[in-house]
Amino acid sequence: MTKNAIEINNLTKKFKDFTAVDNLSLTVKEGEIFGFLGPNGAGKSTTIRMLCTLAQPTSGSAKVAGYDLIKDSAKIRQNIGLVAEKMIMYDRLTAAENLRFFGKLYSIPKQRLEERINELLQLVDMQEWRNTQINKFSTGMKQRINVIRALLPEPKILFMDEPTLGLDPQTTFSIRDITREINKEGMTVILTTHAMAEAEALSDRVAIIDHGKIAALDTPQNLKNMISQGDTTVFSTKISNLSSKIINKIKSLNTVTAVAQQDDYNLKISAHGENPLNEIIDAIREEGGNITSVTNSKESTLEDVFLAVTGKQMRDQATEKAAPIHHGHGPAPKARVR
Amino acid sequence: MMNINKILKDSYHVMAKDLLEFRRNRMQLAALFMMPLIFLLMFGFIFPSGGTQQHMPMGVVNLDQGQGSNEFIAQLNLINQNTSSMDFKTYSSIDEAKTAINQGKIYGAFIIPPGFSDNVTNGKSGDFTVYIDNSNPQSSMQVQQALSSTLNGINNMEAEANVLELANETNQQVNPQAIIFPYVLNVSTTIPGETNYFNFLAPGLMIMIVMMTVMTGIPEAISKEKEMGTFDGMLSAPINQVSVILGKTAALCTKGFVQCVIVLALAMLLFGVTIQGSLLLAFFMLLLGIFSFIGIGILAISMSGDQASGTMIVNLLMFPMIFLGGVFYPLQQMPWFMQAISQFIPLTYAADAMRKIILLNAGIGDVLFQMLILVAFGVVTMAIAVPLFRKSMTR
Repeated sequence: MTKNAIEINNLTKKFKDFTAVDNLSLTVKEGEIFGFLGPNGAGKSTTIRMLCTLAQPTSGSAKVAGYDLIKDSAKIRQNIGLVAEKMIMYDRLTAAENLRFFGKLYSIPKQRLEERINELLQLVDMQEWRNTQINKFSTGMKQRINVIRALLPEPKILFMDEPTLGLDPQTTFSIRDITREINKEGMTVILTTHAMAEAEALSDRVAIIDHGKIAALDTPQNLKNMISQGDTTVFSTKISNLSSKIINKIKSLNTVTAVAQQDDYNLKISAHGENPLNEIIDAIREEGGNITSVTNSKESTLEDVFLAVTGKQMRDQATEKAAPIHHGHGPAPKARVR
Repeated sequence: MMNINKILKDSYHVMAKDLLEFRRNRMQLAALFMMPLIFLLMFGFIFPSGGTQQHMPMGVVNLDQGQGSNEFIAQLNLINQNTSSMDFKTYSSIDEAKTAINQGKIYGAFIIPPGFSDNVTNGKSGDFTVYIDNSNPQSSMQVQQALSSTLNGINNMEAEANVLELANETNQQVNPQAIIFPYVLNVSTTIPGETNYFNFLAPGLMIMIVMMTVMTGIPEAISKEKEMGTFDGMLSAPINQVSVILGKTAALCTKGFVQCVIVLALAMLLFGVTIQGSLLLAFFMLLLGIFSFIGIGILAISMSGDQASGTMIVNLLMFPMIFLGGVFYPLQQMPWFMQAISQFIPLTYAADAMRKIILLNAGIGDVLFQMLILVAFGVVTMAIAVPLFRKSMTR
């Protein structure tokens, strides 16, 4: 019988008026790779920080590796590894010195620590760099050291917050490989990412979170099935004279569930019903819109799922913020002030 | 509950890591050594040394030209030879002397009026005027001091001659000095030998430099890691936050300690400062001093989100401390309200105790009051700062 690595019950984190994590409840099974998907500010990092005991929840509870978040935070820390958004390393120390310092904080016996450092440097193929200062490393090399630093104490649960952000394809693949490998050995991995492909390729299950809440939670395949086999269609359209009037018109249609503006011309529309396309095209033309192209997404991706459930396009946060209108359903997002 | 042993071990690891990082940073390392040197030289030389100035240029205008005035000037020269405090230059008129003063060539002028010799030979007092440039109060004071001591010497010589003459006439055996100066003052000092401003300055400067290193170091050491993200690495490891504070403080103390030794060595080698008391007690006092103001530094970073504002708050607090802590000037010379403020500054007590230990060979009993105040100051500020710090860490 598999145990739960993480149990979250109604976890909430508020920063003054802004609710970053809103009554979040979920469980992660032992040995799973669990993906968190969501736009910036959705509450992914805050959730991870709380689970790593780096931030105090406002309310709710959670168990990590079987220990209570509040009462047994020291025991939790003994059992987790963290690859945070910012690299946890000291520039002026060598790779080995960095690893040694963090290893000592986990009270790993000296000899065992040295063995472990060698083992892990070998894992990422960086033995010859062990005595070089980190500031001489490329971003990819740094991240490889950063990842093995988190693996030093052989944690039961590894938290990875955007582990491949800003890395070249080679390093990205190597880090994904390592993630799979350590997972095979039994480590539970919690992964947050913006990269849909990464979440799809690695995760056993994915939670899409937005506004601090879970919008959808299932295996990547089931999530994709949810929209492609249901009556939801997602398609892109290019309109040469795109305006907020047109967008509002599309959104007012009953068949349309979400509209996301991708740039000055392109929209991604998610709709349901038998054949919503005609109705939408009519609406656009009624407002004087000049349609240049319409593409139906043949095979749905997690991105489409994301769009369908959150009404937001993921990669284009900036565009979304710049647009004068609010797309999607639900109340308008509050200004995120801290 | 984590045990003390683990907390101390982790503190040691944090300290060792911080020092290793520091050692690799050449610029910071150079600054560590330069700071005490520059401070000591700067503060040592910008403040008046307290010794009397020598070879102050003075004018002499003799409008009398009689035997009495010539004798007086000869005696003036004779007395002045011993101290060399003044250099004399003769001018023919008052106007000429005044012009020389205005041109900054001389500090002042002796003006011996006509009839001076007659007054002296006729048993009247020989009045004369000294015209002093007091546009520079500092040198004007020096001149007046030199004048009065020179004149005292001449008067003494004259009086002794007169007393001996009178004694001979009346056939009496007398000690002329006992008649002229019936009371004699012997000054005995706490510190044997000559002392200078450095003796006063060095102990206070030692503790002040440590204070500056530790206080400005805390925002740097803690907020920087917070901003870099490395703090999350330490805090997500099974260590107590107290270990982080302790370790960082210990690393800063080590730096401060090194600077202290440099200050002391330079003060002894370059400025002849002597140590009367126990060095061990002095260093213990130093640690106590650090303990007393470290809470303020932690408070500053807990209240401010980032390194820049933390440093600003620390600087804001540090400057009054430096100038009101009695390191450069004795507190007693300050106006009462400044003295009142200085009572709330831990540096005041630390510098005072340090001076007593180093210069006066004071024992623990003599500085117990200062020690208690420093401990109280440290305990109170830490009791406020540490919970705030912990809270700010898990925001």
